[in-house]
Amino acid sequence: MNLVEFMKIALFSLSANKLRTALSLLGIVIGVASVITMVALGTGAQEQVASQIGAMGSNLITVSPGFIRGGGGRVSQDVADIFTLELATAIKSTSPFIKHVAPTSETTALAIYSGTNIRTRVVGITPEYKEVINHYPLVGRYIRDSDVDNSEKVAVLGSEVALDLFGAENPVGQKIRLIIGERRHTLTIIGVMEPKGQVMMSNYDNRIYVPITMLINRGLTTRYVDGYSIEAVSKDVAKAAVKDVEAFMTRVLKDPDRFRVMSQDTILETVSQATSTMTLLLGSVASIALLVGGIGIMNIMLVTVSERTREIGIRKAVGAKRKHILAQFLLEAILVSVCGGLLGLGVGWGGGYLISNSMGWPFAFSLPAVVIAIGFAACVGLFFGIYPAMKAASMDPVEALGYE
Amino acid sequence: MNGAKQVFVAKGISRIYTMGDVKVHALRNVSFGIETGEYLAIMGPSGSGKSTLMHIMGCLDRPSSGSLYLKGEPIDSLSDAELAEIRNTEIGFVFQSFNLLPNMNILENVELPLLYGGVPAPERLARAKQVLKAVGLQDRLHHRPSEISGGQRQRAAIARALANRPSIVLADEPTGNLDTATGKEIMELFDELNLRGNTIILVTHEREVADHASRIIYIKDGQIEYIEKRVEV
Ligand SMILES: Nc1ncnc2c1ncn2[C@@H]1O[C@H](COP(=O)(O)OP(=O)(O)OP(=O)(O)O)[C@@H](O)[C@H]1O
Ligand SMILES: [Mg+2]
Repeated sequence: MNLVEFMKIALFSLSANKLRTALSLLGIVIGVASVITMVALGTGAQEQVASQIGAMGSNLITVSPGFIRGGGGRVSQDVADIFTLELATAIKSTSPFIKHVAPTSETTALAIYSGTNIRTRVVGITPEYKEVINHYPLVGRYIRDSDVDNSEKVAVLGSEVALDLFGAENPVGQKIRLIIGERRHTLTIIGVMEPKGQVMMSNYDNRIYVPITMLINRGLTTRYVDGYSIEAVSKDVAKAAVKDVEAFMTRVLKDPDRFRVMSQDTILETVSQATSTMTLLLGSVASIALLVGGIGIMNIMLVTVSERTREIGIRKAVGAKRKHILAQFLLEAILVSVCGGLLGLGVGWGGGYLISNSMGWPFAFSLPAVVIAIGFAACVGLFFGIYPAMKAASMDPVEALGYE
Repeated sequence: MNGAKQVFVAKGISRIYTMGDVKVHALRNVSFGIETGEYLAIMGPSGSGKSTLMHIMGCLDRPSSGSLYLKGEPIDSLSDAELAEIRNTEIGFVFQSFNLLPNMNILENVELPLLYGGVPAPERLARAKQVLKAVGLQDRLHHRPSEISGGQRQRAAIARALANRPSIVLADEPTGNLDTATGKEIMELFDELNLRGNTIILVTHEREVADHASRIIYIKDGQIEYIEKRVEV
């Protein structure tokens, strides 16, 4: 007997009881579909995060104050005092691997233009910032060194802010009012940024850029900045740059807990670790569904075997060996689980596509997930089919034929 | 006693069924020999052990003690797989209740022993058709067992038993479920088979059926009561 003939027998038996076959198929379909969907969504999320981090500028390093224990999460004063504009220059000169150091400061403000007002983030920057985060003006110009030197009352609008305040009108040359804290400032728009979209947690289009000196001197009236965005000379030396910056900051602050240096690499690592843990978790939850499907197969197989005792007896009486019966029932189980796996693949693919489409995530169809799901389904069939099949194969022919 | 000439030699075979604490002695120390080409009937009251003996000769069951020789070979030393092969090639077994697979048509049922015997598909089909023609079922190939009469079912079962051209045909009450006229037709088939040289061993309750045989073994309480040798007409 060859495989094709065994296959025929198995298919024949399966089609003889369609409802039962369909039910055991369903268990596997649900199991495999959930594995495929979950893993695809997880991988999609991972890829999205990776591409967003890449979009932030390839060699980005950020320095921010650390959170001092017992400080209630507030930046303690002595640390803040050290985060000055002047320190940016000092940091730059500390390492040959640094290309730009851009000090930044941020606050929320109310922006008003002829009766329209919106709450938005105001970010104080220096000209280097555009290179560091890889974000350039679309219309007009960016902040210049002279703007920073003179704390000039000029602003560059993020694309969303421009649209909200000005609609179709060209904002360049217009004046807006900003209410920062208690104070009002009138700023001249000098440019509008290109749209960048949501990157990680921040929306770059919902911002107004102003010279950092204008923000800290006139707006917030402090001497310190929120932190520094640093661009390494190249990706290869980013690690070395991080080391140099860390060494420098430790020297200045005398305590590595008082500041945090994060590079794109560390962010990428942290985030992708989190998402891959998530993917694994989702995948394992889904695998349980597959396992339950397998138990369903076993259950139905056991019923089938006891119901078909007479058939087994007849087959044995005409010369079927143990291995023939074993192969027949095993093949039935594997056929069900592999067909269920293929169907589940289709369902999971479709489901994953729909979900990620509606959530605006990229859909990652991972081949390993497919191979694993189908392979796992076949193994499930083999594993849960083997006991019922052995039971069938080891039946005594006379007993199976029924006592006559 | 010439071992090579005898298809079956039983030497003190017993079969004990154990059901919990109760032991049922279905066969007690039975010894006999059956010649090649013989036409043998086994008779006896219900529960006397006829079917048990047939199952052992049919290699479906093993004796609890004693030995059975098939064509001079002791079968107790054979593995389950070897017994399956003997069932497939050496022996055709006909049951009282036909034992056809209800989901398959007659042709597929008859092909079954050829399938397990490894006969390739085209030859399998040809042989199954040929043997079905021999029992007069050439017009019922694609009928299910439930779609034909009892006599036709038994013919199909006989065709299946003959498909792999066994030299021995065992039949346990082959006419038990049939009316007298149909039973007669079935018996004609066995007569014909015996004429062609097959060894026929059948169990029956009916004297007229047993009269077809050349020898009748009477069994009672698991033992041979007596053997009646009939004169050939
Ligand atoms: N599987 C079994 N388990 C327990 N006892 C059994 C089994 N098979 C047969 N027996 C017992 O063995 C004895 C012989 O049974 P067997 O079927 O051989 O009788 P039989 O002569 O064929 O009877 P019948 O004419 O009714 O077919 C009976 O007492 C029966 O109850
Ligand atoms: Mg009986």
